Amino acid sequence: MNPADKSWEKLVAAARRAPARDESAPFGFSTRVAALAFSQRDPGSSIFARLSLRAAAVACILAVAAVAANFSAIKGALSDDAQTAAPDDPIGEVVDMGS
Amino acid sequence: MPDDEPFDLAGCLDRVRQRDQQAARELVEHLHPLVIRIARSHLPRRVSEEDLAQEIFLKMFTRLDQYQGAVPFTHWVSRIAVTTCIDHLRAQKRRPELRWADLSETEAQVLDSAITSENDVSPDDALEARELVQKLLDQLKPEDRLVIQYLDLEQKTIAEISALTGWNPTLVKVRAFRARRKLQRFYRDLTESERS
Repeated sequence: MNPADKSWEKLVAAARRAPARDESAPFGFSTRVAALAFSQRDPGSSIFARLSLRAAAVACILAVAAVAANFSAIKGALSDDAQTAAPDDPIGEVVDMGS
Repeated sequence: MPDDEPFDLAGCLDRVRQRDQQAARELVEHLHPLVIRIARSHLPRRVSEEDLAQEIFLKMFTRLDQYQGAVPFTHWVSRIAVTTCIDHLRAQKRRPELRWADLSETEAQVLDSAITSENDVSPDDALEARELVQKLLDQLKPEDRLVIQYLDLEQKTIAEISALTGWNPTLVKVRAFRARRKLQRFYRDLTESERS
């Protein structure tokens, strides 16, 4: 055992001899915790939260399905936009006017 | 509830599940010594032990429906307490380096006597020794600190630590080995900072 280990052992041995502190709950602590716990565990709000989560999940699935079902239409619309947008190049027009 | 009557934990849990507030209060009173011991030994800076204990109890009540009885209830609560403390300690991010100048006069004397004297630290200095040990442990990573706390201060076995934390025994041994090495380095740095 090196000197650091030895002095550490002496320190923890002394620390173990320190008098135990009061471990009982302070006055009113259990009442406060129980009240908070039951206000958090309100069954009405937990059902609402669970239903909201389910609704959000269903909404996400529907959104993805809608995009998938209309994918070709969306893709077509995007490519049309690109084709019509290309001639509207204001910088190009300014450069052409200059030349 | 009279002190001489054994606590009916299973019955109390059933009543808590039926939203009996009196049973919830009894459960908190019964488990408070266990929870406060863990909170005190892994107390982050700037968090009061009472706030930490309250957070642990609230988590316990929130997750009560998940308790299947696979491990003793006290072990299950210990794991919640340990995880909560570790999360708080991790959130601190920075662990201050302990220098000799940071120690109180009595703590410096106790440490000096532990290093230089062949004798044990005087029982009168037990409180200072405990403070000093906590300051040294504060420099370790939360998981390392927890293992050393359980092994050296509370003298728990590897199996007991494994049950309380949910870590497998090999992981506990590896963490203990690494923690001791780091602790030796901190200890050496601290004693060197005294000389400089």
